[in-house]
Amino acid sequence: MKHAGDLTQEFHFYNQDFADGINFRERHGEHMDVMSKQRAAFRGAGVSGGKACGTLKFFRKPTVRPAPSSRPVHPAAELTRLRQAMETAREQIAELHRRALADIGKNEAEIFEIHAMLLEDEDFAETLTNEIAAGKCAEDAVEGAVQVWSRMLRELNDPYLSARAADIRDIADRLLRILAGETQESAAAYTGSFILVAEDLTPSETVLLDKSRILGFVTFGGSSNSHTSILARAMGIPALVGVGKIDEELDSQLALLDADAGTLTVCPGEAELEAFRQAQERQDAQAREQEKSRRALIGRPSVTLGGHRMLIYANIGEGAEVAHALADGADGIGLLRSEFLYLSLNDYPSEEQLFEAYRQIVSDMQGKKVVIRTLDIGADKQIPYFDLPHEENPALGFRAVRICLAREPLFKTQLRAILRASAFGNAAVMIPMIVSAEEVRRCRRLFDECKAELICEGVDFDARMEFGIMVETPAAAVMSDEISAEVDFFSVGTNDLAQYTLAADRQNPMLAELCERNTEPVLRLIERAAKAIHGRGGWIGICGELAADLRLTQRFADMGIDELSVSVPNLLAVREQVLRCK
Amino acid sequence: MKQFTYLIGDENGMHARPAGKLATYAKRFVSDVSVSANGKKADGKRLLSLMSLGAAKGAALEFTITGEDEEQACQTLRQFCEENLCGEE
Repeated sequence: MKHAGDLTQEFHFYNQDFADGINFRERHGEHMDVMSKQRAAFRGAGVSGGKACGTLKFFRKPTVRPAPSSRPVHPAAELTRLRQAMETAREQIAELHRRALADIGKNEAEIFEIHAMLLEDEDFAETLTNEIAAGKCAEDAVEGAVQVWSRMLRELNDPYLSARAADIRDIADRLLRILAGETQESAAAYTGSFILVAEDLTPSETVLLDKSRILGFVTFGGSSNSHTSILARAMGIPALVGVGKIDEELDSQLALLDADAGTLTVCPGEAELEAFRQAQERQDAQAREQEKSRRALIGRPSVTLGGHRMLIYANIGEGAEVAHALADGADGIGLLRSEFLYLSLNDYPSEEQLFEAYRQIVSDMQGKKVVIRTLDIGADKQIPYFDLPHEENPALGFRAVRICLAREPLFKTQLRAILRASAFGNAAVMIPMIVSAEEVRRCRRLFDECKAELICEGVDFDARMEFGIMVETPAAAVMSDEISAEVDFFSVGTNDLAQYTLAADRQNPMLAELCERNTEPVLRLIERAAKAIHGRGGWIGICGELAADLRLTQRFADMGIDELSVSVPNLLAVREQVLRCK
Repeated sequence: MKQFTYLIGDENGMHARPAGKLATYAKRFVSDVSVSANGKKADGKRLLSLMSLGAAKGAALEFTITGEDEEQACQTLRQFCEENLCGEE
């Protein structure tokens, strides 16, 4: 077994002189093809975790050479050639975008949207036109524009933006290939599965590779921001970058890639190979086991070992998320951000539009509870037609229930829509940004008015629909004794509660650590609210980010919190944690 | 003329994706959109120009919007910043 120190030494050794960089360690006598080779080890940054064992395959870039520019250059003709090449490039990029969407995912496919935009960028086009006007042929103009813009990006000294120089290169290579008469870059025609070794890969090269054959990526250069890294993470393939140059003679050799430890071992010893295989199997089995055991929890009541039931609800912002929430076993919706319709339209939605949207979600949840939060907008979440004044301090401004109480018709339209939707399942209504019992009483009066109107109109609704508030101001938590007399439930919005309690703007990156370290005052306020509402026979849930913090699940169970509402991707992990709680 | 300032909270700063999206949004308006940061000024409708600001996390983006639909452009772009550059998922 090797130690990290040895590997670091070897790393320097290989960087100094990779050509002779074969280390005399264990001989490998088992495989015919590696008989003559010695073990070699490399170190780099693991940018996508995991382990892989397979043969190394070196990626060879097709060389693109600009045509010799000895022929006479006619600017008008060169401009036409360039424009046609750009048109073809646009089509190719659109095709790559479609492929990436299908093979990898939406976020990663965006890389090609960026390519399309760069290609159409007026500054880029201007540079190209200037180069041609200066008497260069189309090929040289492309090279010239690449120089200008890659240099600009590199000089920004920002690791992420510097890595974008590779995008400019990718687009340029594409244009040069098209100008040279090649149609589309050829996908690497390799057979079998392998660990791919390359100097670096452009996004197009990465997308065109047959992903099912790639066990891992190793690149000489690159950073955690390079495309290879981003794509490897998206595909869940182990990747190691910045290993320095690797001798091409090692092509086809057996290697062990351990991206977790940041090592690549070529021609490993037999014992090493066996240990690696076992570790890999253990890890795979663990990952499968975790996913399986979490999936098995779906439908199981989330009760702690001590017998306390905590429902696991989902936070959603639109109807489309309902299916995902149900698939991951949500017991209900703990927070439906009802703003979505207001945000997507250009004018106030009608009661009918709101009712239809809420009814759909309530009935899709098949009798499971859906807590609908009334409008939570304000100067920080602007909607043009609301015509709200600009505020210096929007988080402490005219927002949420403050607007609703000042504009009663707006509020009542929404309350009526929610009431009507309640006839189609199990809905509850929740008011945000409350600071006093008086505010709650005013909301309740309007709520009761709506009910009376609906009864007169002969419109159906659930007369026992629960009415609750968000506890997201320190005032609401401090006054929870009085407020709990007016409501059926509390739901704690920990994001706002934390920022108001700590007087720390959550958007301010300089205060992130302060917020991270001071959860205790927030927890004590929650504890106070929990005691108050339980004293009245009501229930309390948590729908802010803290609900998904697995370090706090036990504390929440101890307080007797009845429900945790988290984003869909966190549902299974939180359920698992609740079942582990004492 | 409308102006506002936004402090980037996103770990990656204004990288290619948000810059691309921002340019797409800005292009929907007839108003001129200029964005300044780090003492540099960029055309809000051009991707490379926006990227060349090199605006990292913590940088203050100053938007100046001038034109007939400046009011709406200002609101849309401000909302864009909050949704794409605040650094919270």
